[in-house]
Amino acid sequence: MPSLKTIRCRIAALLLTLLCTGPAAAEIPVQHTRGQTILPATPKKVVVFDLAALDTLDALGIPVFGVPAGAKPQSLVQYNEPRFRRMGTLWEPDYEAIDAAEPDLIVVGGRSGPRYEALAKMAPTIDLSGDDADPLGSELRNIRTLARLFGKEAEAEARIARIQAGIASIHEKAGQAGTALFVLSTGGRLSAFGPGSRFGLVHGALGFRPASTDLGAGIHGQPISFEFIAKTDPDWLFVLDRDAAIGVRGQPARQLLDNELVRQTKAWRKGQVVYVEAGSWYLAAGGLRALQATVDQIAAALGGRR
Amino acid sequence: MTLPLLQRFLPACLVLLVLAAASLLVGVGDAGGSEILLASRVPRTLALILAGAGMAVAGVIMQLVAQNRFVEPSTAGTAEAATLGMLLVTLLAPDAPVAVKMLAATATALAGTALFLRVLRAMPLRARLTVPLVGIMLGGVVGAASTLIAYRTDMLQFLGTWQAGDFSTVLRGRYELLWLAAILTLVAYALADRITIAGLGRDAAINLGLDHRRVVAGAIAIVAMITAVTIATVGAIPFLGLVVPNLVATVAGDNLRRSLPLVAVSGAGLLLVCDVLGRVIRYPYEIPVGTVMGVVGSALFLVLLLRRDARHA
Repeated sequence: MPSLKTIRCRIAALLLTLLCTGPAAAEIPVQHTRGQTILPATPKKVVVFDLAALDTLDALGIPVFGVPAGAKPQSLVQYNEPRFRRMGTLWEPDYEAIDAAEPDLIVVGGRSGPRYEALAKMAPTIDLSGDDADPLGSELRNIRTLARLFGKEAEAEARIARIQAGIASIHEKAGQAGTALFVLSTGGRLSAFGPGSRFGLVHGALGFRPASTDLGAGIHGQPISFEFIAKTDPDWLFVLDRDAAIGVRGQPARQLLDNELVRQTKAWRKGQVVYVEAGSWYLAAGGLRALQATVDQIAAALGGRR
Repeated sequence: MTLPLLQRFLPACLVLLVLAAASLLVGVGDAGGSEILLASRVPRTLALILAGAGMAVAGVIMQLVAQNRFVEPSTAGTAEAATLGMLLVTLLAPDAPVAVKMLAATATALAGTALFLRVLRAMPLRARLTVPLVGIMLGGVVGAASTLIAYRTDMLQFLGTWQAGDFSTVLRGRYELLWLAAILTLVAYALADRITIAGLGRDAAINLGLDHRRVVAGAIAIVAMITAVTIATVGAIPFLGLVVPNLVATVAGDNLRRSLPLVAVSGAGLLLVCDVLGRVIRYPYEIPVGTVMGVVGSALFLVLLLRRDARHA
């Protein structure tokens, strides 16, 4: 009869081997927005319903099996090729197709977040929705979650360090760069977004002073007129052309804003109207590559004038 | 215009002037600067007057032609058909100028309204409320088609901008197409006697020597075009065409030549009130006038319904 002590030793040794044989054999607990999901092994067949997660997976070179149909940022258009299985849309997953595919992992987030419950019944599912209260923090956490899951921590950390350095340098300059207003245009209408909104990154992590202090955090922003832009008179005007983002040719934001009221703002006169790259701000906002693109674009805009 | 009506028309015009002045004064920018006034306030106020008058006139014409008090472009499939036209032309020719889009929307609005009148003719018995119900159902079918197409093509939010009237981005140079609504209102005034007779019903109209078919065709062409030009420039405005003609009818009767000026002025006034409210309630942000009109209009409509029933009882 082995003593209690030897049994303990054996269990410890067993646990150790389990840990050492790596993720392929051990269960992997994944913390996400809706709690914890335990994966039996590193997933091979991954279905992604979040363009930010797809952006991160693509940047880290992790293969993906199924993707949603619909508009993609320029850097992810290859996922519209037929070699990737179409799995419905971000808002309406094709449950039949997913069931037939028997994926090892489904990733939802943001637009597809509400489909979590239904999808979690079909296969292990994680929700990587961002948190508007802490956009950058939650986005980095989501990137790290995916990186850890696929053993790409080192690569992800190197890229995150670069992003954080970029953000720190922007933050330093933005403090003295004056006020900023973020507007979204669609179908010839305008809405403004403030700190704490889905585009709050501008004022939060990037550190631009808000031109209007009482903009709430509504998901679709606050409807505004051109008079509002003229009155708040920001030094920087960040514009997201939503129609361009989803590939609809409507009235382009450039044309919409080129009018006598916007032309009198400081932002226009100083050439500080920045049309943010729609793919990385709207479609895949918070993805690893999207974050870097965001940092690069804002740094370039700031860099010209110090 | 008879003297008692003139007594109502002139005060209505005065009220409209006061409302227009309010619209010129209310806004985010500093109206002291003539630039804000000329570039933003005056165009917005004019756009409101033109669209309000136009939609109210479109409503009263629809009511005469369909011989029903509860019909207007948004309860006859006209507005939904015009929106479908806007959607299709935006998909097929996204770079087309807004005038071209407006023409496409007019064409589908005409088709939708004609279909509505045809369905009505096929119904032997028409209770007062079944007529608008048929129109709303028809509009629902057309609207569902638009939604499906918009969903498939990622245009849902675009569709939303045509469905919800909003004057927040109206500026000098971006609303002038609405003057077409004013011209159409004048055309309607010229045709007023004939439309009134057409409103007596097909048989009565033919007995009175009217080319009923042509007058109805002309009338719905006016309605379709006013609806299309409004949706193409500022988006759909619900209830206006329903509420205003009914309110005016209680004082001015059904003779279009007599009631039309008052309908136009009241429509413009009601839309001005709603837009100024939308600018003030969440200052400095906006509430789209379509939303405000939905609330104000449905409340007024309920009042009308209850008062009418009380009188009939």
